[in-house]
Amino acid sequence: MAETLRSVGIDVGTSTTQVVFSALTVTDTAGLFRVPNAQITATRVLYQSPVYPTPLLDEKRIDAAALRTIVAAEYRNAGIAPGETDTGAVIITGESARKENARAVLENLRDFAGKFVVATAGPDLESRIAGQGSGAQALSRARRCSVVNLDIGGGTTNLALFDSGKFVASACYDIGGKMLRFSADGRLTTLSPAAQDVARQHNLSLTVGQVPQTAQLAQLAKVLTEALESAALGKASPLLERLRTAGSSRHFPTSPYPRITLSGGVADCVFDETLPDFAYGDFGVLLGRALRQSALFAKAERGGETIRATVIGAGSHTTELSGSTVHYSSADLFPLQNVPVFAVSERQEAALWRGDCDTFAQDFAHFLTQTDSPHAVCALQGRRNPGYTDLTRLARALVRSLSGSPLLVILHEDNAKALGLILSGLLRGTPLVVLDNICAGANTYLDIGQPILGGLTLPVVVKTLIMGSAT
Amino acid sequence: MHQQDIQKLTETITKAVLAEIARGAGTPAHTADAPATAPEIARMQSSTPARIAVGRAGARLRTESYLQLRADHAAARDAVLQDVDGDFLARLGLETVLTRCADKDEFLTRPDLGRVFPAESLAQLKAINPEPCDVLVYLADGLSSRAAEANGETILPLLLEGLRGQGLKVGQPFFVAYGRVATMEQVAQTVGAKVVCVLLGERPGLGSAESMSAYLAWNPRPGMPESERTVVSNIYAGGINAAEAGAYLTDVLARVYREQKSGV
Repeated sequence: MAETLRSVGIDVGTSTTQVVFSALTVTDTAGLFRVPNAQITATRVLYQSPVYPTPLLDEKRIDAAALRTIVAAEYRNAGIAPGETDTGAVIITGESARKENARAVLENLRDFAGKFVVATAGPDLESRIAGQGSGAQALSRARRCSVVNLDIGGGTTNLALFDSGKFVASACYDIGGKMLRFSADGRLTTLSPAAQDVARQHNLSLTVGQVPQTAQLAQLAKVLTEALESAALGKASPLLERLRTAGSSRHFPTSPYPRITLSGGVADCVFDETLPDFAYGDFGVLLGRALRQSALFAKAERGGETIRATVIGAGSHTTELSGSTVHYSSADLFPLQNVPVFAVSERQEAALWRGDCDTFAQDFAHFLTQTDSPHAVCALQGRRNPGYTDLTRLARALVRSLSGSPLLVILHEDNAKALGLILSGLLRGTPLVVLDNICAGANTYLDIGQPILGGLTLPVVVKTLIMGSAT
Repeated sequence: MHQQDIQKLTETITKAVLAEIARGAGTPAHTADAPATAPEIARMQSSTPARIAVGRAGARLRTESYLQLRADHAAARDAVLQDVDGDFLARLGLETVLTRCADKDEFLTRPDLGRVFPAESLAQLKAINPEPCDVLVYLADGLSSRAAEANGETILPLLLEGLRGQGLKVGQPFFVAYGRVATMEQVAQTVGAKVVCVLLGERPGLGSAESMSAYLAWNPRPGMPESERTVVSNIYAGGINAAEAGAYLTDVLARVYREQKSGV
């Protein structure tokens, strides 16, 4: 039994905008005589758009109309009508996420793409997606090793660490090719706040309107390369801390001997030695060259995807599947979109399993009033092998404390169907959704699509919606 | 070569080998532990329940691995040979029904007797369930009493709750001692159950002695083809946990009842 989902990925980055369409094959991988286990068994890119420059109205705003025209044209080129996709993600990344109209642009594109296409933003999420799109995750799974991917784009560098195929950590820094931009005659036209800061710290004289000295540019590239080396090795440095993107994870944990892969537009500048200094009118080529000369990055591998890593990740890797033994009272409840996640703390969860729910009920009710959503999903860890009496105690505590309709519960461990069965007996008619095999932390939102494979599993996207403050 | 020469050569080799072993005894080369690539080894170990990278002492297993192996083997034997705990059955309110096997030995050596009931057991089955029902679920020891004890307390109440929730008339469960899968034929005929599900212990391996399977069929009857049985296997903490399996089986049983067929 197999089913194919058509997925769209749209990436609005600092310097480039791209669209891809992929096909995700979902198969029940359990052997005969086993409880079903649906997995995404293959992803295939159906169509890739050219790499467009992200259209801007001015320094602070994206040209939403032009962007929509680009995306609409790419749907036509792919021969796919908006709404004909089953899933997908629009992601706004790097500097673009900090534009004044970022949220409006994102929602506009999502509405255009239609149906179960999610809007996402946030430095940690884009780091993970880039690492998945570049092939770093697949490499770490195939080789059972640690791989750190650096996706060096126009505005930011996104780091993601994978271990044996599992996403471990991420970080994001304001280092990218478009930190500096140059006019055709070599004069500096733009200097990003991060570049200004680094220049000031290292007494480099870089002035907008003037032609900078080659040595000064080389020095800046060297300083940034050293910062990226520290980042890749998980070493904290004061410079790195200053360059950390607002809203990004604070620390990047160390791993003994990670393999390094590079993606993003600047990765192409690292591996292509023939590019002239200012091929793209920015700092990318010089930064790429400095990276090539670093002992650490000389050993780095080129990602399977470079400049397309993020868009491929958005198209092929944002959708997960729930476990295959789950509970929902009706398929008409889906899609559910933008459901805020209430991540239950370890201590609270332990109390719930004991059947005690006092503080939890208050906390959940408070959380619900803080959001403008009619419901919130309660995210639990669950237990590996729960007993019937344990589950009954938990179910009673949940029924006493949860509010909203439908009642939504997700668990990491394989508990959803059993918990759902007991809950539905207690609730008598209240709509209910209980899914497992999903990890969602605080500050995330959930989108849940319509059941697939004959109702066996549901596509789920765990996402963040973090727009940076305008710069 | 003369007999004498061979003997001499054997002695020389034996002495040399013994000397080599004596020299290396207790040194790291002889009790090889995890090598320098420990994280990689740990990753491989976590990906399989097989006993890989356990190290060695000389040419043999380390004492710890050897004892673990012996312990697991003993657990597997115990799971087969021991009876299901009486207190456990009393706690679940399950009456014990015997097949024609007189004891464990006969159960293991005469599979045919483990599939049928004597007249008094048939009367007992009728007494436990005087009324016909839509679905009947019962527990049996099969080849692992441990499996029945480890999963029964969770899977049974979930199944009963789930099936009743689906509006089905569910029979009173019981426990069959020295029971095999095909007991379901006589059970179904005696009680008058349309769908029957037996939960029983699978033959233990060294990995787990607690694995249970559920065999179920629409209209079980003597002489029915094996292909009409549906099976859900691997029910234990390391496979599908008993709670989820119970909830899943609820759907399977309700569907079998609705569609009036099984084994598909």
